[in-house]
Amino acid sequence: MAEKFFTHRLDNGLTLVAQQIDTVSSATMTIAIPAGASRDPTDKAGAAAVGSYWLFRGAGKRNSRELNDALDSLGCQHHESVQSEHLLLSAAQLGKNLSSVVEIYGDIVKQPHLSDGTFNPCKELVLQALDGLEDQPMEKCNAMIREMFYPPPLGRNPLGQKETVKKLTPQLLREHLQNHLSPDGTIIAAAGKFDWDELREGIEANFGNWQGIAPRTVEIDKPKDKTMHVEKQTAQVQIALAWPAATIRDKYYYAGRIVQMILSGGMGSRLFVEVREKRGLVYAIVARYHSLKDYAGIFVYAGTTPQRAQETLTVTIDVLQNLQKGIEQDALSRAKTQLKSALIMQGESTSARADALAGDFYHLGKLRSLEEISAAIEAVSINDVMEYLQVYPVKNLTMLTIGPEKLDSTILP
Amino acid sequence: MEFKQASLKNGLTIVAEINQSAASLAMGFFVRTGSRDEEPVEKIGGVSHFLEHMLFKGTEKRSPFDINREFDQMGAAYNAFTSEENTVFYAAVLPEFQTQLLDLLGDMMRPALRKEDFETEKQVILEEIALYQDRPQHRLAEKLMELHFGNHPLSHSVLGKPETIQSLTHEDMLTYFKQRYSPSNITLAATGKVDWNALIDKADQTCSQWEDYPVSRKTPPLNPSCKKESILDEKLLREHIGMISPAPSAQDESRYAAAVMSTIIGDVTGSRLYYALIEPAIAEEASCVFEPMDGTGIFYTFICTTPDKADKALQIAQDEYANFIKNGPTEQETLAAKNKIASAATLKGELPMGRLTALGFDWIYRKEYKPLADEIERILAITPEQVHELARQYDLNNASILTLGPGKQE
Repeated sequence: MAEKFFTHRLDNGLTLVAQQIDTVSSATMTIAIPAGASRDPTDKAGAAAVGSYWLFRGAGKRNSRELNDALDSLGCQHHESVQSEHLLLSAAQLGKNLSSVVEIYGDIVKQPHLSDGTFNPCKELVLQALDGLEDQPMEKCNAMIREMFYPPPLGRNPLGQKETVKKLTPQLLREHLQNHLSPDGTIIAAAGKFDWDELREGIEANFGNWQGIAPRTVEIDKPKDKTMHVEKQTAQVQIALAWPAATIRDKYYYAGRIVQMILSGGMGSRLFVEVREKRGLVYAIVARYHSLKDYAGIFVYAGTTPQRAQETLTVTIDVLQNLQKGIEQDALSRAKTQLKSALIMQGESTSARADALAGDFYHLGKLRSLEEISAAIEAVSINDVMEYLQVYPVKNLTMLTIGPEKLDSTILP
Repeated sequence: MEFKQASLKNGLTIVAEINQSAASLAMGFFVRTGSRDEEPVEKIGGVSHFLEHMLFKGTEKRSPFDINREFDQMGAAYNAFTSEENTVFYAAVLPEFQTQLLDLLGDMMRPALRKEDFETEKQVILEEIALYQDRPQHRLAEKLMELHFGNHPLSHSVLGKPETIQSLTHEDMLTYFKQRYSPSNITLAATGKVDWNALIDKADQTCSQWEDYPVSRKTPPLNPSCKKESILDEKLLREHIGMISPAPSAQDESRYAAAVMSTIIGDVTGSRLYYALIEPAIAEEASCVFEPMDGTGIFYTFICTTPDKADKALQIAQDEYANFIKNGPTEQETLAAKNKIASAATLKGELPMGRLTALGFDWIYRKEYKPLADEIERILAITPEQVHELARQYDLNNASILTLGPGKQE
């Protein structure tokens, strides 16, 4: 069954992409604005995070409370998140309420009140979240490894730093948002039950007159630390490893995803079997794939008690290095089935679809059909995977540990 | 949507909600057993959850690796979870794998429980306990349940204590399995694009030789403590505050009003707690959820903030509750809460996995089937007066309270 895809570009540079799904009654909209954390100036790191709260504290004719109540009354589940490249505003609701939600979001991006009186609590929430990271070692670990791995400022912790957030003032953040909230480069993705003409007209009417300056390119620095240990009296040692992978645009992309699935696709995957099933060293071990536009990595996370941490690291490294020795045909076909099946199941969720559409358009400038992706996954051969491992070898690893004691990192390839 | 139900001779119940337009199907075995059924808890506390892990460790005809590999071969999204009251094993797959999935899940329900696997997995369980020790929100919830329920078995920790897990024997587990995994204590539920006849045939083939025996659950009277205690932990930066007060049970018709009430009071956006605590940044997190359980229920309030604001935050929450009990909700906020619940249930219901737990628990707790549309209708019919009445009946301030954090720094 072919997907019902639609694309429409507005004169101000905004692109609307959509997938109509007739078997559901919900519709999700994701607005990806190129105002992510990596675009925060270094001395204002955390600006996007504070901004993501502040934008919802009143817009257009509604004050903060009226705005929230209006979204609530429409049964809108909204969620704001700051990623490296984008500020993401997501709204999931019944399809029949999408038009009303579009109107409210038009106000949020075009006419946010950004008034002095609502500023401090937004800043305070981000400062508290930064403290919260200290109480949650796993989250801290996942944020820090990205920061170490990606060329700065691409991997920056979206919450910024206490010093930079503290220095933000209403005036500084207003200026920042005025310079960064731009229709040019913004992608609005919608998936679910809607009428395309009505959606397109709604977006034109509410976002067509949005004005803003196109975002500047981000200046990239070189990554600094390859290995780091953060001493902390935790019950478990957090171990994170990362190395480069193919980006979504790369011809080796699907081979890279296969590698990640072989490592960590399910309970039969190599890391799970070797580290947890055979040796009982951990409860949690996972390898994730993450991609920005020009950089991507595979990130491994393991958590284990201090006395077993070194062994966990050694076994994990062994598993990673063994990739070069080859992969079995049945492991390859398992990985393919898992990737394809996840794709089909994801197609049943309107919010997963909206995010995927926005991601496809951002990375590839087009929408990929299920058929196209399936064929690309199916085409990956063992040779492709081995070639991939030549181009993206498990070498030059970035490693972060958080826990009571430092581990021996000389075993890193 | 079409509902189907059948029972095998040995008492295993099979229920399905069939949606021909779905792209996948989900299936799960719901076992009515959890930490509340662990007696004596000093000896076997945590065995339900440990046993959940052991079901992935092989059967007479499958090794642990076979089980994992077969799931992966089907491209399944699969897992299991254990709570105070239930242990659930589930997977979502493409429809062509229905029979193969049931062959695997059904076989897992009669595990080999090999001693060597038991010892290896014990280490994994201890790691899981350690993992949660690094999550203050989890530590708080576990200790607060203990404080609130006191001698009642709902006070039992799901993961168990490390020393109990250490000393738990293989025989203890075998005994527990033989007492709790009777087919009459298990429901097989399936949702999405299900082939009903094939499901019944395969269930009959895989599960009909399971031996039935009676299983019971103790339901001693409840005596909520309603005490306030604090745990000091100087390693933490923030104060974590939990409140538990009694709520309607999973069998109680007033559960719909309770769901609306907790949304009005404690949803993550637009609720009373949101406006009183989050919007002015007195707390970073504040929520109240309704958790219906077997014969009882709780409202669970959670607040997280900096130590200097903790007292104030708790006081504000309690004042909000007192005010709510006195004046009840407005028309507008009741309507918004109902719309939010209906919208969330619809979104969740669009995924076979999302409907699976609803279908399974409807059967486990009430032996009934409620289509999503009926469920939403019941929610939408709730009036502000009903919510107000419920608030007077279940006093949110008559609560057990626990704080976990560094305390006030002088």
